This record gives sequence, C-alpha cells and structure tokens, in this order.
Amino acid sequence: MGRAAACAALCLSIIIIPSVATAADQLTVYSGRAERLIKPVLDQFTAKTGIRIALLSSGTTELVNRMKAEGTRSPADVFITNDAGSLEIARTAGLFRPLSMREVERAIPPQFRATDNSWIGLSGRFWIIAYNTTMVKPDRIKSLLDLADSAWKGQLAIPNAGSEYLHAGVSVIRASIGDDRTKKFLEGLRDNAGTHVYQNSSQIVDAVAKGQVALGIVNHYYVYRHLATQPAAPVAVLMPDQQEGGMGAIMNVAGIGILKHTPRMEQAKLLVEFLVAQTGQKLFADLDKEYPLHPEVQADPALIERKNFRAAMVPLAKLAELRAPTLRLIEQVGMR
Amino acid sequence: MIAARSSSFSSLQLAALASAALILFPLIYIIALAFSADLDVWSRLWTTRVPELLWNTVFLAGAVAILALGLGVSTAWIVTRFEFPGRRFWELALVLPLAMPTYVLASVFNYLLGLGGPVEHIWQLVAGPQARIFSPQSFMGVTLVMALATFPFIYLLTRSALLNFNVSFEEVARTCGASSLRRIFFVTLPLLRPSIVAGVALVILYVVSDFGAVSLLRYQTLTYAVFQQMTGQLDNQAASILSLLLVVLALLFLLTERWFRRKSRYYQTAGRYRAPQRFHCSWLQTVGLTACLSVIMGAAFGVPMCLLIMWSFSPEALATLDARFFGFVWNSALLATLAATASVLIGLPLAYLASRKPTWFNIGCLQAAYAGYVLPGPVAALAVLVLCLNLIPVVYGTVIVLVLAYVLHFLPAGLQSLEPAIQQITPNLEEVARTLGLSARETVRQVTLPLIRNGIIVAWVLVFLQTMKELPATLLLRPVGFDTLAIRVWLEASEEYYQLAAPSALLIVLVGLPALVLLLSRDWRAA
Repeated sequence: MGRAAACAALCLSIIIIPSVATAADQLTVYSGRAERLIKPVLDQFTAKTGIRIALLSSGTTELVNRMKAEGTRSPADVFITNDAGSLEIARTAGLFRPLSMREVERAIPPQFRATDNSWIGLSGRFWIIAYNTTMVKPDRIKSLLDLADSAWKGQLAIPNAGSEYLHAGVSVIRASIGDDRTKKFLEGLRDNAGTHVYQNSSQIVDAVAKGQVALGIVNHYYVYRHLATQPAAPVAVLMPDQQEGGMGAIMNVAGIGILKHTPRMEQAKLLVEFLVAQTGQKLFADLDKEYPLHPEVQADPALIERKNFRAAMVPLAKLAELRAPTLRLIEQVGMR
Repeated sequence: MIAARSSSFSSLQLAALASAALILFPLIYIIALAFSADLDVWSRLWTTRVPELLWNTVFLAGAVAILALGLGVSTAWIVTRFEFPGRRFWELALVLPLAMPTYVLASVFNYLLGLGGPVEHIWQLVAGPQARIFSPQSFMGVTLVMALATFPFIYLLTRSALLNFNVSFEEVARTCGASSLRRIFFVTLPLLRPSIVAGVALVILYVVSDFGAVSLLRYQTLTYAVFQQMTGQLDNQAASILSLLLVVLALLFLLTERWFRRKSRYYQTAGRYRAPQRFHCSWLQTVGLTACLSVIMGAAFGVPMCLLIMWSFSPEALATLDARFFGFVWNSALLATLAATASVLIGLPLAYLASRKPTWFNIGCLQAAYAGYVLPGPVAALAVLVLCLNLIPVVYGTVIVLVLAYVLHFLPAGLQSLEPAIQQITPNLEEVARTLGLSARETVRQVTLPLIRNGIIVAWVLVFLQTMKELPATLLLRPVGFDTLAIRVWLEASEEYYQLAAPSALLIVLVGLPALVLLLSRDWRAA
C-alpha cells in the first residue's frame, strides 16, 4: 500500500510540475500569431532582459474565448495577436489593463492604439490581391469589389468564414459602402470561390502561385514570404482601391495588451517597451515583412513603399463594434 | 430499479455511474448551450449551413466505411487463411497505418496528388502533358485518405476474430455439403459479424469526429465546421447547435449498430479449439497477393514514411532537433500513457456490468460512455474546461484537464474492444468459478481478467495511439509551454513548413510502433 501511495505521489508530481513553474522572472504570453513569426522576437527579449517566456500559440479568437473562460485564473500575463478587432473585443470584455508609458506614446501613433492604451499596435498589414502573373493582367482589376464579378468564377481563393482578417476586412468594406452592396459583394465572392476556401493565407498564396486559381485575397506579407523562399514563383501583389474616390487599402494591425490581473506588471511593461522600440520594430519588419508602426523604422525594401498608397479611413478601434453585424452578414450569405 | 437495498447495486455500479456522469456532463452542457440559442440562430444555420454539412458528413462516413471494410476484411482474410512467403511480415505491417495521424497522411497526399506533384508527373508521362488526376482536395481524395488511415481498425478486429474462430463450424458446414463460397457467406462472415461491425463502427465514429484530414483537405464536415465556429467566432452557440446535430447523427448510428450486434451473440461452448488450415499458395498466387498488399501498404504507410524520413533529414528539419524537441516527445508519451490507463480503468466496470447484468441502468451507463466519441474534440474540450474551472479549479492548467478530455473522447474506442472481449467468454465459466467457492472479486481476478487480457491490451493500445495523434482538444486545453508532437506538426504544417513538421510527425509514428508491436505480439494472441 505504501508503495502504491508513493507511486501515485510520484505520478502526481510529474503531472503538476510542468504547470507550476511560473516564477517572477517569467512571463506567460498567449499569442494568436504564428509561433514562427513571434518566437524569434521574444527570444531576443529573453536574451536582453533575462526574463523567460512561456509561449502559447493558437488561434486569435480561440485565445480570446479561452481568456474569457479563464477569467482571473488565467495564467496569461500578456496577449499578442494579429487583429485590432480582437484586441478591442478583449478590451471591452475588461481583460486588459490601461497603460500609461511615455515610450509607447512616443513610438506608436495614436490611431494604432486603443483610446486608453490598453492595447498597442505593433505592426501593420494590408489586404491585397495576390495574382498569378501568367494568368492575370494586373490592370484588369482596380478594386476588391471587382473580384465579385462573375468573370472570375472558379478563379478566386478566399479565407474561410472563421478568419479574423476576413471579419476585419468585411467590416471595413461595410463601413465604406454599406450593408446591401457588401452583401452582393460577398455573394459574388462566395460563388466565385466555390470550394477554394482556405484555412490560412499561405495556402491561398500557394494555390495562386501554382495556378490552381488566378487570384486570392490575403495579407500582403504572405506573398513576400512566399517569394522569399521561391523567388521565381509567378505571384505578385496588387494594391486595390487606390483609384480616385476609392475606399483605400484595408489595414489591420498586430498588437499587444497586458492582462488586468497579472502580478508581473513590471516584466510585462518591459516587453511592451522592447517591442515598440526601434530594435523591436525592426525585428518585426525584417522577420515578418510587415509595416512597422514606429515612424522612424523602415519597412523591408521589397514591399510597396508605404507612402505610395492610401489606407481606408476606418479607425481600427471601430473594428470590434463592427464585427458582430459583419459575422451575421457573412453567415447570412452562407460563406463556408 | 435503482435498488439501494439490494446488494446488486454494488461499488462497481457506483463506479460505472460516476464514469457515465463524467462523460455525460459535457453532453448536457452542449445541449443546454444549444437550446439557449435564439430560434433565429437555429433557423439561420438550418437554412444556410446545415444541409450541406449533414450531407457531406453522412456521405463521407458511408464511403469511407465501404472502402475500409473492403480493405480491412480482405487483408485480414489473406493473412489468416493463406500461407505464403512474407505472410508474417504483412500480418504485422498491416496495422502500421494506425500510427499515422490523418493530418500527416492528408498533407502527404496533398503533396503527392497535388497540382504539379509527383503522381501527376508520372501520369502525364503515360497519358500526355495535359492529363490531370483527381485533386486530393475533393470528396474522392478525403475518402481515400480516411479509408487508408482507418482500415486497420477493421483488419485488426476481423483478424483476431478469424484467429479465435473455431474452425469446426466451417467443417460442419463442409460435411453438410456447402460450397466454399456458401461457407464464407453463410457461416464464416456471420460469425465474424460482431467483430466486423465493431470495426466499422470505429471507422465511422473516427471519420465523423476527425478534424485533421478534413481541415487539410478542405472538406466541410460537421466536426470541421464546429471547430471553425469555435475558433473563428466569438459565441459558442452555433458550435453547440452543430455539435448537437453531430451527436444525434452518431447516436442514431450507434443504436443501429447495437441493434445489429444484439441479434448475434456467439459463445464458444466446447473447450476444444482448432485453428484453420491455411491454404498454401503457388508462386503465382504469392506474387498476386504480395502485389495487392504492397499497393495498399505503400499508399497507407510506405510512401508517406519515406517522405517523412526524407523531409526529416533535410538541414532545416535537423536544426530543430534540440532539448526542446525531446520535451515534446516526453509530453506526448506521458499524456498517451495516462489517458490509455485511465480509459481502461474506467471502461472495464462499464463494459463488464453491461455485458453481465444488462439492466437498463447498466446499459444506460455504457451507452452514455459512448457519447464521448461523438462529441467532437474541440467541443469536448470546451466542456471539460468549463467543468474544471467551476468544480475543480485546482487542476486547471494541468495535464489532468487534458487527460479528462482524452478519456471522454477515446473511451469508446477502448470499449469497442473491451466489450466483445467480455461478450466472448461464456458466463458459465464465471458461474462455475462461483459454485466452486470463489468470491465475486476472486472470480474477476482469477477467471475473467485473464480471459479478457487481450481485449484490455488492445483497448489500452488503441487509446494510447489515438491520444498520441489527437489534435483539437490538445490545441484548446494544453497547459502553457506543454506542447506535444501533434501540436508541433500542426503549428508547422498549417504554416506550410512541411520539412519542419516532418521530425515530429515521424516521431509520432515511431513512438506508436512499439505499442503496435505489443498489439500483435505472439504472447497474448489466441490463447
């Protein structure tokens, strides 16, 4: 009996040990960004400060749901993700703590932060049209709305109905052209895409590069990442809606928020400081091919110069309130 | 009926009740969530998504079941009834696909059959440069991948039934003048039916609850839609409605299966048992059989393995093999061992009671346990999360939560082999032991357990293997920093880094192999 008890105790300790290691010099980060894109940056932070990071990478909305369910028991100290709408939703759910940091206010322009600084944008990404250069002449398309044209039937790849960047993009379009036209647009997308509905953007770029479809809607950096590994791939970027009176390119940001209940506020602030400073911003720009938000940090030279195109005039913080009706519309249209 | 006064309501029954309750809770939670949704949400889902999803799911399950049935029964027949060089090798090899997760197989087929892939190149050499093959991201593609991944369930159960099969039934038929085809269809197959039906049930439930293959091959089933609802949307109500649909579908199917099996119960009555004579093959027949088996195994295991090994030894992949990587290996093995052991401990009383004292209460508990399989991984995970946070918050963020979700999800797989094992022993043996003066407890220990040891081992191994591969619940519930191999494969493969995913995928397969060998070792076979 004694042996059995010892055995059970051993087993239990094996089970419990990995989860209680939350020392003071460690931060727990929930990340909705792909691990490959965020871990090298966090590793640099650890190297600089000695603060270790326990990282949980998963889907953005999934993590928001998880933090809501966990409440004050959440082991998370910091939430990093790739959609301003989700950050704003987490803020309105009362998950974040407002920040007042001079470093942040100096580095990140106010339109890329929450009104009370409870979340802070880190890098910018744009909806673009990826097209196969052997199949499409780029002057045939001016606007995202053109993609609903039945001429593109079976030629278009789109993200699935659960993707946050679809929600954000459709929200901006709704705010720009109204619900009725957006609905027609979505119906067109649905019909043109058929079964070409993908779980993630790299698959869309891949499908376009292979010629399975002629066009796809993705965030810009997926194309540049694809080209970085396969420079000869026949795929290029088209920045839509730049014509006179057009709505402008759809922008979203990746960003960060500190959870309200964290006992490790100081360490979390150090992380934010690191990420908004020039070195952190440069890491994001180089690794991920995104547009840094710090005005003095340059984007990757392969990208379209930021000065040369115009973004849609919908404030990022509005993405959250726009999202619920957007979801309803997407569901109504019956997108997959 | 619940007669606390009588001694029949034993501690065993209490254990069964507790297990059933543990498993029923998530189901009740889902039902409650679904019915708390507005009528509006229901009607919207019903008019937009439901018809397509329901049709896709049923159609896929049916097609995979038929294909897997053909593959499983014929291969089991070949290795048990024919004698040819290499038979022992194939006998072992045919279970290997069980170690291959569907999402790995799916990504390999995406590469092989995809546009510009190797198979298309070969085909174009034969049929001209414009020739196209069917896309893996289609109904045919998904069916093929799922059938290749699941046919060993049917093979295993059919084979062990054939090995345990008392050949005197067939001999009686022969002395009565029945032709060999007649013997197969009217004597052998009906006697195998319980095992075959159990195998098909495993396959169908597996297909219905699979998330990996359908998501990579972009085929919309209910489970995939539930995962999309849960991870892409902010309310879980729609997800719970779709889950409820899935549960109803699976329950309908399980009841049908049970009805089939109820009508057939065979006991071995005589103590004497004789193995069948194997048919000795000529060299031509040997070549034919070997070619057949090679094609099946090449597609299900050989070619994917070669690709995984090739990718694993690429420089990018080798760079990821560090201490962190071995942590993932340990995490996976620990989780799978815990889940398999817990499932057997929980499953035994349920299966035993339902078989020996088939009261409505005992059968009810057993049926409740089957509910876990029909709850898709992500939904089971959500329910476990809510349960733990509200009732036992201490365990939240630990491995225990994950193990609970696995038991919930995979217990039925274990029960599918525990149940027939118990049913095949005639109760007479236990009754005799009792009349000879053994207590109930001693009877279980000295008579029942040794006789069903095979069933227990198979159950343990099945749960172990499935836990190694499990994805959606692990994604949703893993403690921070506690990644498993399956998670690594998913994180890398969903960003299209196939080379980086390969070492983890390869290891999932390799860690699964000893368990499979155990499953087939001589030791426990046909006692």
